[in-house]
Amino acid sequence: MFQGMLIYGLINSVILALVTLGFNLTFGISGVANFGYGGLYILAGYTIWILFNLLKIPYLVAIVLSILFTAFIGGLMYRFILLRLRGLTNLEVIASLAVGVIILEMFRVAGFIGFEYTLPGFISGSVPIGETLVDAQRLFIVGIGMVLALFLWIFTRYTKTGLAFRGIAQEERTALVLGINSDKMATLSVAFGSGLAAIAAAVILPLGIIAGEGGYTVLLNAVAVCIVGGLGSPGGAVVASFIIGYAQTFTATYLGSHWTMIVSLLAIILILVIKPSGLYGKQKEIEEKV
Amino acid sequence: MKQKVILMVGFFVLGIFFTFPHSAYAQLKPGEPVILGVTAPFAAQLESADALKVATMALEEINAKGGVSIKGVKHPLKIESQDTRDILPGVPVSEALLAVEKVILEKKAHAIAVGPSRSEAFLASMDLAAKYKVPMMACHSMTPVVAKKISEEYNKYKYVFRVGINSMHMAGIVTGMAAFLNKEFGFKKAYLMVQDVLWSRASSAFVESWLQKEGWEVLGKDFFPTGASDFSASLMKAKSTGAQVVIPMFDMPEAGILLKQRNAMKVQAVTAGNIVELAHPEAWKMFGDQIEGCLNTIYEAGNIPVKAMPKTLIFHEAFRKRWGREITIQHGVAPAYDSVYILAAAIERAGSVDPDALVIALEKTDYAGVNGRMRFDKNHEIVYGVNPNETAVNIGFQWQKPGKRVIVYPETVAEGKIQLPPGMKPVK
Repeated sequence: MFQGMLIYGLINSVILALVTLGFNLTFGISGVANFGYGGLYILAGYTIWILFNLLKIPYLVAIVLSILFTAFIGGLMYRFILLRLRGLTNLEVIASLAVGVIILEMFRVAGFIGFEYTLPGFISGSVPIGETLVDAQRLFIVGIGMVLALFLWIFTRYTKTGLAFRGIAQEERTALVLGINSDKMATLSVAFGSGLAAIAAAVILPLGIIAGEGGYTVLLNAVAVCIVGGLGSPGGAVVASFIIGYAQTFTATYLGSHWTMIVSLLAIILILVIKPSGLYGKQKEIEEKV
Repeated sequence: MKQKVILMVGFFVLGIFFTFPHSAYAQLKPGEPVILGVTAPFAAQLESADALKVATMALEEINAKGGVSIKGVKHPLKIESQDTRDILPGVPVSEALLAVEKVILEKKAHAIAVGPSRSEAFLASMDLAAKYKVPMMACHSMTPVVAKKISEEYNKYKYVFRVGINSMHMAGIVTGMAAFLNKEFGFKKAYLMVQDVLWSRASSAFVESWLQKEGWEVLGKDFFPTGASDFSASLMKAKSTGAQVVIPMFDMPEAGILLKQRNAMKVQAVTAGNIVELAHPEAWKMFGDQIEGCLNTIYEAGNIPVKAMPKTLIFHEAFRKRWGREITIQHGVAPAYDSVYILAAAIERAGSVDPDALVIALEKTDYAGVNGRMRFDKNHEIVYGVNPNETAVNIGFQWQKPGKRVIVYPETVAEGKIQLPPGMKPVK
């Protein structure tokens, strides 16, 4: 069973990292609070379902359209709501969270509840790893997660847009002086992050069902990972994913599944008390303030 | 003398003051509707939405025959509904109570045919029923605490009745199926996977205690919060400890993931418990033969067509005609239909909508409903058993090829025998 815990811990950690990528890009890297992230994740899932099941659009096309649509909605949210609150982080958080909750509740009220809201997996079957059988879809998610993490790392270090995202988070006025349109970059960052949420939804949601509660869980885990890893550090987010992922798996295996939600919350509290800027955070002013 | 006159007038005025609202409330004008409240989380829970639909169906059927007769005068039934949202995580109980109070105070309901769904909310609304003296029926809430409160404080909580099952009844279906698995195949090792809410905790405690008393080995018991979507740790433990029977108890949609993970991890054990999705008539289309051999529960017989209970066949046909689809939920829907009929009959027996008279009339209920013979015990709970001619009935069924729900329990209504899933061998 210990071997199984190690393997599932790894899988859960990579799933956590994949889910967090988009949130980390906007909140961690660009400094834009998008607490509607969970709602956008679920929006992407339901969009794929509607396109595939109701409009009979081919599955891969439905996924691509959903990613584009979710990115568009994210960009719209920033352009028409968050832009007006730029710089006022508390209000950005409240406004974006409100948008996320509206999305989740809208689907609930519209009756999108039930196990029929599932997405087909990409690969079926199980793969034996040692003595543990793992479903192939989870291994597929691990592969996608690694590819996306690498892509994000390269994107934020070696592309103009990625560097601009980091620039507006580090020092916005200097970025402006250098000709970086911070509003445009922030809009792109939120759109990009929303698109990453949609990719995560497309590969992860086939494991189970599309349910509104999943949006709140995604947001909570994403916040925990970014805070523990440190804002502005993709590497930190990956390390934090593994810490929290294994902690959750260990807790579920040896203590009980109903304690796993507390793991993320405890992680946030512990890191804020011990090292507020996070494990690899670059925002030293947080520590200086504390 | 003057003092005596003043005293008499004073008593007369007081008498009018205390009895007038009561007696006025109890006397409907001719043609004035009898108002039944339906307070449940319709938007968030299909069983509540369908409870409203079947209550409406019952109302339409009764009104088509002229309505409810009170002392020879016909009164139509009318439903006033409010969404309590009590099933949603994070929604406080106080919000559900606001909805119930609105139906009582603003909509002037004479009785509530369907109360809040979650036990926590229903227990809290019992105090409202007591405060405003409004008979209230539980169709979804399953906690045994309802009966306990009625038995301990009868005069206060006498207005509350339960038409649906409680968690002990549900546990009884599970233990009934476990007994059969032991008798036929020699299985004696079980692993419990339970949703962390009141009804399932209570049911699982009963099941665990029964299993231990009957000499079973309970290899483990895990609780999952509502919304949990990963069951791999528990399934790993069930597999590594050699469980022969996995007993799940869930009413959340995410529980369907358990079956996907069970099959991926190739856990060789019979699944015999309660997963809401498995009760759905289309579950085979969603999960395919992954659910072959899974044993599941229908809490109240009326929620599934039962050949041995003709009223269920008529009820399901009527629902299909009225709403264009099947009943897909195993709990709380059929009781809501019977609840309206039970209340209508009680109002006719009482000859009034006076709450105290209604309570006495409800206690004398003996109604042949879609769930079987409906009679209340001394704690205002419908009596459930194994013979529909004597009691209301719960159902255990198994998914069998080519994608059919075969009723296997109780024997009085069974339409087939339990079969082992592919790849599993009996121990004896």
